[in-house]
Amino acid sequence: MAEFRNRKSVTALVVALVAFSVVAMVVDRRSAPGGPDRELSGWTDAILDIAAPVQQMIAFPFDLTREAWRHYASLLAASDTNTALRARLVALEEENLQLREALIASGRLARIAEIRADFEVPMLPSALVGVDPSPWFRSVLVDRGREHGVRSGMPVISEHGLVGLVTATSARAAKAMLVLDRQSAVDGIIQRSRSRGIVRGRGTSEMDFEFVARGSDVRVGDVVISSGLGGVYPKGIRIGEVASVSDPGSALMQSATLVPAVDFGRLEQVFVMLRRGPTMEMLYASEGEGLLAETASERSGP
Amino acid sequence: MKRALALLAIGALAPMIQGAMGTFIPLHYCPDLGLLLVVGLGLCWRSTAGGLVLSAMLGFVADLLSGSLLGQHMLLRIFAFGAARACSRQLNLRGVIPRAIFVSALSAVSALGTGALTAFFGAGPGVDAQMLRELVPHALINGAFAPLGVWFVERIANWLSEAEAGQQLLALRPRSRLS
Repeated sequence: MAEFRNRKSVTALVVALVAFSVVAMVVDRRSAPGGPDRELSGWTDAILDIAAPVQQMIAFPFDLTREAWRHYASLLAASDTNTALRARLVALEEENLQLREALIASGRLARIAEIRADFEVPMLPSALVGVDPSPWFRSVLVDRGREHGVRSGMPVISEHGLVGLVTATSARAAKAMLVLDRQSAVDGIIQRSRSRGIVRGRGTSEMDFEFVARGSDVRVGDVVISSGLGGVYPKGIRIGEVASVSDPGSALMQSATLVPAVDFGRLEQVFVMLRRGPTMEMLYASEGEGLLAETASERSGP
Repeated sequence: MKRALALLAIGALAPMIQGAMGTFIPLHYCPDLGLLLVVGLGLCWRSTAGGLVLSAMLGFVADLLSGSLLGQHMLLRIFAFGAARACSRQLNLRGVIPRAIFVSALSAVSALGTGALTAFFGAGPGVDAQMLRELVPHALINGAFAPLGVWFVERIANWLSEAEAGQQLLALRPRSRLS
Protein backbone atom coordinates (compact mmCIF):
# COMPACT_ATOMS: atom_id res chain seq x y z
CA MET A 1 0.00 0.00 0.00
CA ALA A 2 2.82 2.36 0.96
CA GLU A 3 4.66 1.49 -2.26
CA PHE A 4 1.50 2.20 -4.28
CA ARG A 5 1.11 5.58 -2.56
CA ASN A 6 4.77 6.35 -3.17
CA ARG A 7 4.41 5.47 -6.85
CA LYS A 8 1.38 7.71 -7.14
CA SER A 9 3.20 10.64 -5.56
CA VAL A 10 6.21 10.18 -7.88
CA THR A 11 3.88 10.11 -10.89
CA ALA A 12 2.19 13.29 -9.66
CA LEU A 13 5.61 14.91 -9.20
CA VAL A 14 6.71 13.95 -12.73
CA VAL A 15 3.50 15.37 -14.18
CA ALA A 16 3.91 18.59 -12.19
CA LEU A 17 7.56 19.06 -13.19
CA VAL A 18 6.91 18.29 -16.85
CA ALA A 19 3.94 20.66 -16.86
CA PHE A 20 6.05 23.37 -15.24
CA SER A 21 8.82 23.04 -17.83
CA VAL A 22 6.36 23.04 -20.76
CA VAL A 23 4.60 26.12 -19.39
CA ALA A 24 7.99 27.81 -18.87
CA MET A 25 8.90 27.11 -22.52
CA VAL A 26 5.58 28.41 -23.83
CA VAL A 27 5.81 31.58 -21.72
CA ASP A 28 9.44 32.10 -22.74
CA ARG A 29 8.61 31.66 -26.42
CA ARG A 30 5.60 33.95 -26.24
CA SER A 31 7.71 36.72 -24.75
CA ALA A 32 9.60 36.91 -28.09
CA PRO A 33 13.37 36.71 -28.40
CA GLY A 34 14.62 39.33 -26.03
CA GLY A 35 11.11 40.30 -24.97
CA PRO A 36 10.34 42.18 -21.76
CA ASP A 37 9.89 39.02 -19.74
CA ARG A 38 13.56 38.16 -20.26
CA GLU A 39 14.62 40.71 -17.65
CA LEU A 40 15.32 38.24 -14.87
CA SER A 41 14.39 38.91 -11.29
CA GLY A 42 14.63 37.33 -7.85
CA TRP A 43 16.66 34.17 -7.49
CA THR A 44 16.97 33.62 -11.26
CA ASP A 45 18.67 37.00 -11.37
CA ALA A 46 20.99 35.93 -8.56
CA ILE A 47 22.10 32.78 -10.43
CA LEU A 48 23.20 34.82 -13.44
CA ASP A 49 24.93 37.32 -11.14
CA ILE A 50 26.81 34.53 -9.37
CA ALA A 51 27.68 32.79 -12.64
CA ALA A 52 29.60 35.74 -14.06
CA PRO A 53 32.28 36.06 -11.35
CA VAL A 54 32.47 32.28 -10.88
CA GLN A 55 33.13 31.74 -14.58
CA GLN A 56 35.66 34.55 -14.54
CA MET A 57 37.45 32.87 -11.63
CA ILE A 58 37.48 29.45 -13.31
CA ALA A 59 38.72 30.90 -16.57
CA PHE A 60 41.44 33.02 -14.95
CA PRO A 61 44.34 30.49 -14.99
CA PHE A 62 43.46 29.43 -18.56
CA ASP A 63 43.24 33.06 -19.64
CA LEU A 64 46.61 33.77 -18.10
CA THR A 65 48.30 30.89 -19.94
CA ARG A 66 46.64 31.77 -23.22
CA GLU A 67 47.53 35.43 -22.88
CA ALA A 68 51.16 34.65 -22.08
CA TRP A 69 51.42 32.42 -25.13
CA ARG A 70 49.71 34.96 -27.35
CA HIS A 71 52.00 37.69 -26.07
CA TYR A 72 55.06 35.59 -26.82
CA ALA A 73 53.79 34.66 -30.29
CA SER A 74 52.91 38.27 -31.08
CA LEU A 75 56.39 39.41 -29.99
CA LEU A 76 57.92 37.11 -32.57
CA ALA A 77 55.92 38.72 -35.36
CA ALA A 78 55.99 42.28 -33.95
CA SER A 79 58.60 43.69 -36.29
CA ASP A 80 56.90 42.48 -39.49
CA THR A 81 53.47 43.58 -38.23
CA ASN A 82 54.84 47.00 -37.31
CA THR A 83 56.18 47.60 -40.82
CA ALA A 84 52.93 46.42 -42.41
CA LEU A 85 50.83 48.59 -40.09
CA ARG A 86 52.91 51.70 -40.77
CA ALA A 87 52.38 51.23 -44.49
CA ARG A 88 48.66 50.69 -43.91
CA LEU A 89 48.46 53.83 -41.73
CA VAL A 90 50.00 55.96 -44.45
CA ALA A 91 47.59 54.55 -47.02
CA LEU A 92 44.58 55.14 -44.75
CA GLU A 93 45.64 58.70 -43.92
CA GLU A 94 45.85 59.40 -47.62
CA GLU A 95 42.44 57.83 -48.23
CA ASN A 96 40.94 59.75 -45.29
CA LEU A 97 42.23 63.02 -46.71
CA GLN A 98 40.74 62.30 -50.10
CA LEU A 99 37.38 61.39 -48.58
CA ARG A 100 37.29 64.60 -46.54
CA GLU A 101 38.03 66.60 -49.64
CA ALA A 102 35.26 64.83 -51.49
CA LEU A 103 32.79 65.48 -48.64
CA ILE A 104 33.67 69.16 -48.42
CA ALA A 105 33.32 69.44 -52.17
CA SER A 106 29.85 67.94 -52.05
CA GLY A 107 28.83 70.22 -49.15
CA ARG A 108 27.79 67.28 -47.02
CA LEU A 109 30.33 67.62 -44.23
CA ALA A 110 28.42 70.32 -42.39
CA ARG A 111 25.20 68.31 -42.60
CA ILE A 112 26.97 65.17 -41.39
CA ALA A 113 28.39 67.12 -38.44
CA GLU A 114 24.85 68.23 -37.55
CA ILE A 115 23.30 64.80 -37.59
CA ARG A 116 26.33 63.08 -36.05
CA ALA A 117 24.88 63.29 -32.57
CA ASP A 118 21.90 61.22 -33.70
CA PHE A 119 24.14 58.42 -34.88
CA GLU A 120 26.47 58.39 -31.92
CA VAL A 121 25.36 55.53 -29.77
CA PRO A 122 26.81 55.21 -26.28
CA MET A 123 28.87 52.04 -26.00
CA LEU A 124 29.53 50.07 -22.85
CA PRO A 125 32.75 48.03 -22.77
CA SER A 126 32.11 44.64 -21.28
CA ALA A 127 34.19 41.52 -20.67
CA LEU A 128 33.11 38.12 -21.89
CA VAL A 129 33.09 35.79 -18.89
CA GLY A 130 31.63 32.56 -20.21
CA VAL A 131 30.01 30.81 -23.11
CA ASP A 132 26.84 28.78 -23.40
CA PRO A 133 27.17 25.50 -21.49
CA SER A 134 25.16 23.71 -24.19
CA PRO A 135 26.86 22.90 -27.50
CA TRP A 136 23.56 23.37 -29.35
CA PHE A 137 23.23 27.09 -28.61
CA ARG A 138 25.63 29.95 -29.16
CA SER A 139 25.40 32.60 -26.50
CA VAL A 140 27.81 34.32 -24.15
CA LEU A 141 27.69 35.78 -20.67
CA VAL A 142 29.06 39.30 -20.19
CA ASP A 143 29.91 41.06 -16.94
CA ARG A 144 27.61 44.06 -17.34
CA GLY A 145 23.91 44.09 -16.51
CA ARG A 146 20.93 46.27 -15.70
CA GLU A 147 22.92 48.30 -13.16
CA HIS A 148 25.13 49.44 -16.02
CA GLY A 149 22.24 50.25 -18.33
CA VAL A 150 22.19 47.01 -20.32
CA ARG A 151 18.73 45.85 -21.45
CA SER A 152 17.48 42.95 -23.55
CA GLY A 153 17.40 43.74 -27.25
CA MET A 154 20.56 45.85 -27.30
CA PRO A 155 23.11 44.99 -30.00
CA VAL A 156 26.56 43.75 -29.00
CA ILE A 157 29.58 44.48 -31.17
CA SER A 158 33.35 44.23 -31.04
CA GLU A 159 36.00 46.31 -32.77
CA HIS A 160 35.86 43.80 -35.65
CA GLY A 161 32.13 43.68 -36.20
CA LEU A 162 28.76 42.35 -35.09
CA VAL A 163 28.72 39.94 -32.14
CA GLY A 164 25.03 39.49 -31.31
CA LEU A 165 22.09 40.64 -29.26
CA VAL A 166 21.39 40.84 -25.52
CA THR A 167 18.65 38.32 -24.71
CA ALA A 168 18.46 38.35 -20.92
CA THR A 169 19.83 40.53 -18.17
CA SER A 170 20.37 40.37 -14.44
CA ALA A 171 21.60 43.18 -12.19
CA ARG A 172 25.30 42.66 -12.94
CA ALA A 173 25.43 40.27 -15.91
CA ALA A 174 23.78 39.75 -19.27
CA LYS A 175 23.31 36.91 -21.72
CA ALA A 176 23.83 37.65 -25.41
CA MET A 177 22.89 35.46 -28.36
CA LEU A 178 25.69 35.35 -30.94
CA VAL A 179 25.10 35.83 -34.67
CA LEU A 180 26.39 32.24 -35.01
CA ASP A 181 23.36 30.84 -33.14
CA ARG A 182 20.82 28.91 -35.20
CA GLN A 183 18.12 31.27 -33.94
CA SER A 184 19.94 34.36 -35.19
CA ALA A 185 19.03 36.10 -38.44
CA VAL A 186 20.39 39.49 -39.52
CA ASP A 187 19.36 41.51 -42.57
CA GLY A 188 22.58 42.15 -44.45
CA ILE A 189 23.92 43.68 -47.64
CA ILE A 190 27.07 43.20 -49.62
CA GLN A 191 29.08 46.38 -49.20
CA ARG A 192 30.38 46.39 -52.79
CA SER A 193 27.32 45.47 -54.83
CA ARG A 194 24.55 46.36 -52.29
CA SER A 195 22.89 42.96 -52.86
CA ARG A 196 20.59 42.07 -49.97
CA GLY A 197 20.13 38.84 -48.06
CA ILE A 198 19.67 37.29 -44.64
CA VAL A 199 22.65 36.24 -42.58
CA ARG A 200 21.64 33.19 -40.60
CA GLY A 201 23.67 31.41 -37.93
CA ARG A 202 24.49 27.75 -38.43
CA GLY A 203 25.56 26.96 -34.91
CA THR A 204 29.14 26.52 -36.16
CA SER A 205 31.94 28.99 -36.85
CA GLU A 206 30.39 29.94 -40.22
CA MET A 207 27.13 31.58 -41.27
CA ASP A 208 24.78 31.35 -44.25
CA PHE A 209 23.93 34.33 -46.43
CA GLU A 210 20.51 33.32 -47.71
CA PHE A 211 17.68 34.66 -49.86
CA VAL A 212 19.99 36.57 -52.16
CA ALA A 213 18.19 37.21 -55.46
CA ARG A 214 19.43 35.02 -58.29
CA GLY A 215 21.83 36.93 -60.49
CA SER A 216 22.93 39.27 -57.69
CA ASP A 217 26.58 40.16 -57.75
CA VAL A 218 28.11 38.07 -54.96
CA ARG A 219 31.80 37.20 -55.04
CA VAL A 220 34.19 35.42 -52.72
CA GLY A 221 35.86 37.99 -50.46
CA ASP A 222 32.90 40.42 -50.50
CA VAL A 223 32.23 42.10 -47.16
CA VAL A 224 28.70 41.76 -45.75
CA ILE A 225 27.43 44.52 -43.45
CA SER A 226 24.18 44.94 -41.55
CA SER A 227 21.52 46.72 -43.59
CA GLY A 228 19.62 48.18 -40.62
CA LEU A 229 16.36 47.04 -42.21
CA GLY A 230 15.44 44.51 -39.56
CA GLY A 231 15.25 47.31 -37.01
CA VAL A 232 17.37 45.30 -34.59
CA TYR A 233 20.94 46.16 -35.55
CA PRO A 234 22.14 49.55 -36.80
CA LYS A 235 23.22 49.88 -40.40
CA GLY A 236 26.81 49.42 -41.51
CA ILE A 237 28.22 47.01 -38.95
CA ARG A 238 30.57 44.45 -40.46
CA ILE A 239 29.15 40.93 -40.22
CA GLY A 240 31.53 38.82 -42.27
CA GLU A 241 33.18 37.96 -45.52
CA VAL A 242 31.88 35.70 -48.31
CA ALA A 243 33.89 32.46 -48.23
CA SER A 244 32.04 30.57 -50.95
CA VAL A 245 29.07 31.08 -53.25
CA SER A 246 26.79 28.17 -54.05
CA ASP A 247 25.48 27.50 -57.51
CA PRO A 248 21.75 28.35 -57.42
CA GLY A 249 20.92 25.82 -60.18
CA SER A 250 17.30 26.32 -61.08
CA ALA A 251 16.41 27.98 -57.74
CA LEU A 252 15.16 31.56 -57.55
CA MET A 253 17.53 32.46 -54.74
CA GLN A 254 21.21 31.91 -54.28
CA SER A 255 23.15 31.57 -51.06
CA ALA A 256 26.70 31.95 -49.82
CA THR A 257 28.79 30.94 -46.85
CA LEU A 258 30.18 33.69 -44.63
CA VAL A 259 33.16 33.73 -42.34
CA PRO A 260 32.32 36.06 -39.44
CA ALA A 261 34.28 39.28 -39.09
CA VAL A 262 34.67 38.57 -35.39
CA ASP A 263 36.92 35.74 -34.29
CA PHE A 264 34.57 34.26 -31.71
CA GLY A 265 37.24 31.86 -30.46
CA ARG A 266 39.36 34.79 -29.31
CA LEU A 267 36.63 37.15 -28.25
CA GLU A 268 37.36 38.68 -24.86
CA GLN A 269 35.89 42.15 -24.84
CA VAL A 270 32.70 43.40 -26.42
CA PHE A 271 30.75 46.64 -26.52
CA VAL A 272 27.06 46.80 -25.72
CA MET A 273 25.32 49.50 -27.76
CA LEU A 274 23.15 51.21 -25.20
CA ARG A 275 20.39 52.00 -27.68
CA ARG A 276 17.96 49.51 -29.16
CA GLY A 277 16.87 49.40 -32.76
CA PRO A 278 13.32 50.58 -33.59
CA THR A 279 11.90 47.04 -33.72
CA MET A 280 13.33 46.15 -30.33
CA GLU A 281 12.21 49.51 -28.96
CA MET A 282 8.67 48.70 -30.08
CA LEU A 283 8.84 45.30 -28.36
CA TYR A 284 9.98 46.97 -25.18
CA ALA A 285 7.50 49.84 -25.31
CA SER A 286 6.03 48.71 -22.00
CA GLU A 287 9.32 49.35 -20.26
CA GLY A 288 9.12 53.08 -20.96
CA GLU A 289 11.32 55.47 -22.83
CA GLY A 290 12.58 57.29 -19.76
CA LEU A 291 14.98 54.65 -18.60
CA LEU A 292 16.70 54.26 -21.95
CA ALA A 293 16.97 57.97 -22.52
CA GLU A 294 18.35 58.40 -19.02
CA THR A 295 20.97 55.69 -19.53
CA ALA A 296 21.98 57.08 -22.91
CA SER A 297 22.45 60.58 -21.53
CA GLU A 298 24.43 59.20 -18.55
CA ARG A 299 26.78 57.36 -20.88
CA SER A 300 27.27 60.15 -23.36
CA GLY A 301 28.17 62.54 -20.55
CA PRO A 302 27.29 66.24 -20.15
CA MET B 1 18.87 17.12 2.82
CA LYS B 2 22.59 17.88 3.09
CA ARG B 3 23.31 15.54 0.21
CA ALA B 4 20.66 17.19 -1.92
CA LEU B 5 21.97 20.67 -1.18
CA ALA B 6 25.58 19.66 -1.83
CA LEU B 7 24.67 18.08 -5.14
CA LEU B 8 22.52 21.06 -6.08
CA ALA B 9 25.48 23.37 -5.42
CA ILE B 10 27.79 21.14 -7.47
CA GLY B 11 25.16 20.84 -10.17
CA ALA B 12 24.73 24.60 -10.33
CA LEU B 13 28.49 24.95 -10.67
CA ALA B 14 28.61 22.37 -13.49
CA PRO B 15 27.18 24.59 -16.28
CA MET B 16 29.33 27.48 -15.04
CA ILE B 17 32.48 25.33 -15.25
CA GLN B 18 31.36 24.09 -18.64
CA GLY B 19 30.75 27.66 -19.80
CA ALA B 20 34.26 28.64 -18.71
CA MET B 21 35.72 25.54 -20.41
CA GLY B 22 33.87 26.45 -23.58
CA THR B 23 36.05 29.52 -24.02
CA PHE B 24 39.05 27.19 -24.64
CA ILE B 25 37.66 23.93 -26.01
CA PRO B 26 34.82 23.54 -28.56
CA LEU B 27 31.80 22.52 -26.51
CA HIS B 28 31.20 19.39 -28.60
CA TYR B 29 34.43 18.04 -27.18
CA CYS B 30 33.52 18.95 -23.58
CA PRO B 31 31.59 16.45 -21.46
CA ASP B 32 28.09 17.59 -20.51
CA LEU B 33 28.69 17.77 -16.76
CA GLY B 34 25.03 18.48 -15.98
CA LEU B 35 23.85 15.41 -17.87
CA LEU B 36 26.48 13.22 -16.18
CA LEU B 37 25.35 14.40 -12.76
CA VAL B 38 21.72 13.68 -13.60
CA VAL B 39 22.60 10.19 -14.85
CA GLY B 40 24.56 9.65 -11.63
CA LEU B 41 21.48 10.69 -9.68
CA GLY B 42 19.31 8.32 -11.70
CA LEU B 43 21.65 5.40 -11.09
CA CYS B 44 22.53 5.80 -7.43
CA TRP B 45 20.24 8.29 -5.70
CA ARG B 46 18.02 6.61 -3.12
CA SER B 47 14.87 8.74 -3.35
CA THR B 48 13.20 8.92 -6.76
CA ALA B 49 11.21 12.04 -5.86
CA GLY B 50 14.28 13.83 -4.48
CA GLY B 51 16.33 12.88 -7.53
CA LEU B 52 13.60 14.12 -9.85
CA VAL B 53 13.38 17.50 -8.13
CA LEU B 54 17.18 17.83 -8.10
CA SER B 55 17.43 16.95 -11.80
CA ALA B 56 14.71 19.46 -12.66
CA MET B 57 16.48 22.17 -10.67
CA LEU B 58 19.82 21.42 -12.33
CA GLY B 59 18.10 21.68 -15.72
CA PHE B 60 16.56 25.01 -14.80
CA VAL B 61 19.94 26.44 -13.78
CA ALA B 62 21.36 25.28 -17.13
CA ASP B 63 18.42 27.02 -18.87
CA LEU B 64 19.26 30.28 -17.15
CA LEU B 65 22.85 30.19 -18.33
CA SER B 66 22.13 28.88 -21.80
CA GLY B 67 20.51 30.38 -24.87
CA SER B 68 17.80 27.72 -24.80
CA LEU B 69 14.16 28.30 -23.96
CA LEU B 70 13.51 28.45 -20.24
CA GLY B 71 12.39 24.94 -19.27
CA GLN B 72 14.03 23.14 -22.21
CA HIS B 73 16.98 21.66 -20.31
CA MET B 74 14.70 21.10 -17.34
CA LEU B 75 12.39 18.83 -19.34
CA LEU B 76 15.31 16.95 -20.87
CA ARG B 77 16.98 16.45 -17.49
CA ILE B 78 13.74 15.03 -16.05
CA PHE B 79 13.66 12.65 -19.00
CA ALA B 80 17.34 11.73 -18.51
CA PHE B 81 16.78 11.02 -14.82
CA GLY B 82 13.71 8.90 -15.61
CA ALA B 83 15.57 6.96 -18.30
CA ALA B 84 18.57 6.33 -16.04
CA ARG B 85 16.34 5.23 -13.15
CA ALA B 86 14.20 2.95 -15.34
CA CYS B 87 17.15 1.42 -17.19
CA SER B 88 19.09 0.78 -13.99
CA ARG B 89 16.22 -1.46 -12.89
CA GLN B 90 15.95 -3.37 -16.16
CA LEU B 91 19.58 -3.51 -17.31
CA ASN B 92 22.91 -4.18 -15.69
CA LEU B 93 24.51 -0.72 -15.68
CA ARG B 94 27.17 -1.45 -13.09
CA GLY B 95 30.16 -1.86 -15.38
CA VAL B 96 32.18 0.89 -17.01
CA ILE B 97 31.31 -0.09 -20.58
CA PRO B 98 27.53 -0.49 -20.09
CA ARG B 99 27.44 2.91 -18.39
CA ALA B 100 29.47 4.52 -21.19
CA ILE B 101 27.21 3.03 -23.87
CA PHE B 102 24.08 4.04 -21.98
CA VAL B 103 25.24 7.64 -21.48
CA SER B 104 26.34 7.95 -25.12
CA ALA B 105 22.89 6.84 -26.26
CA LEU B 106 21.15 9.08 -23.72
CA SER B 107 23.32 12.03 -24.74
CA ALA B 108 22.38 11.52 -28.41
CA VAL B 109 18.67 11.25 -27.56
CA SER B 110 18.94 14.34 -25.36
CA ALA B 111 20.57 16.32 -28.20
CA LEU B 112 17.87 15.20 -30.63
CA GLY B 113 15.30 16.20 -28.01
CA THR B 114 16.87 19.66 -27.81
CA GLY B 115 16.64 20.03 -31.58
CA ALA B 116 13.08 18.73 -31.68
CA LEU B 117 11.91 21.05 -28.89
CA THR B 118 13.63 24.04 -30.51
CA ALA B 119 11.88 23.28 -33.80
CA PHE B 120 8.54 22.58 -32.10
CA PHE B 121 8.55 25.95 -30.36
CA GLY B 122 9.69 27.66 -33.56
CA ALA B 123 12.87 28.96 -31.97
CA GLY B 124 15.23 27.49 -34.57
CA PRO B 125 15.71 25.00 -37.39
CA GLY B 126 15.81 21.92 -35.12
CA VAL B 127 17.75 18.80 -36.03
CA ASP B 128 19.86 19.25 -39.15
CA ALA B 129 22.90 17.61 -40.73
CA GLN B 130 25.25 19.93 -38.88
CA MET B 131 23.76 18.98 -35.55
CA LEU B 132 23.99 15.28 -36.37
CA ARG B 133 27.67 15.69 -37.27
CA GLU B 134 28.41 17.38 -33.94
CA LEU B 135 26.23 15.01 -31.97
CA VAL B 136 28.49 11.98 -32.57
CA PRO B 137 31.70 13.28 -30.93
CA HIS B 138 29.67 14.87 -28.15
CA ALA B 139 27.90 11.59 -27.35
CA LEU B 140 31.22 9.69 -27.41
CA ILE B 141 32.89 12.19 -25.07
CA ASN B 142 29.95 12.00 -22.68
CA GLY B 143 30.14 8.20 -22.80
CA ALA B 144 33.85 8.28 -22.03
CA PHE B 145 33.32 10.50 -19.00
CA ALA B 146 30.16 8.70 -17.78
CA PRO B 147 31.82 6.21 -15.40
CA LEU B 148 33.73 9.06 -13.78
CA GLY B 149 30.58 11.18 -13.44
CA VAL B 150 28.57 8.36 -11.86
CA TRP B 151 31.45 7.46 -9.57
CA PHE B 152 31.62 11.11 -8.46
CA VAL B 153 27.90 11.25 -7.58
CA GLU B 154 28.19 7.90 -5.79
CA ARG B 155 31.14 9.13 -3.73
CA ILE B 156 29.38 12.36 -2.77
CA ALA B 157 26.22 10.48 -1.81
CA ASN B 158 28.13 7.87 0.22
CA TRP B 159 30.40 10.41 1.88
CA LEU B 160 27.52 12.58 3.01
CA SER B 161 25.35 9.66 4.09
CA GLU B 162 28.27 8.35 6.19
CA ALA B 163 28.57 11.76 7.81
CA GLU B 164 24.83 11.81 8.49
CA ALA B 165 24.99 8.27 9.91
CA GLY B 166 27.79 9.37 12.26
CA GLN B 167 25.69 12.25 13.51
CA GLN B 168 22.71 9.96 14.15
CA LEU B 169 24.92 7.65 16.18
CA LEU B 170 26.07 10.52 18.35
CA ALA B 171 22.51 11.67 18.82
CA LEU B 172 21.51 8.25 20.19
CA ARG B 173 23.99 8.28 23.06
CA PRO B 174 22.12 10.54 25.51
CA ARG B 175 18.93 8.51 24.94
CA SER B 176 20.66 5.27 25.94
CA ARG B 177 22.02 6.91 29.07
CA LEU B 178 18.54 8.03 30.09
CA SER B 179 17.08 4.60 29.66
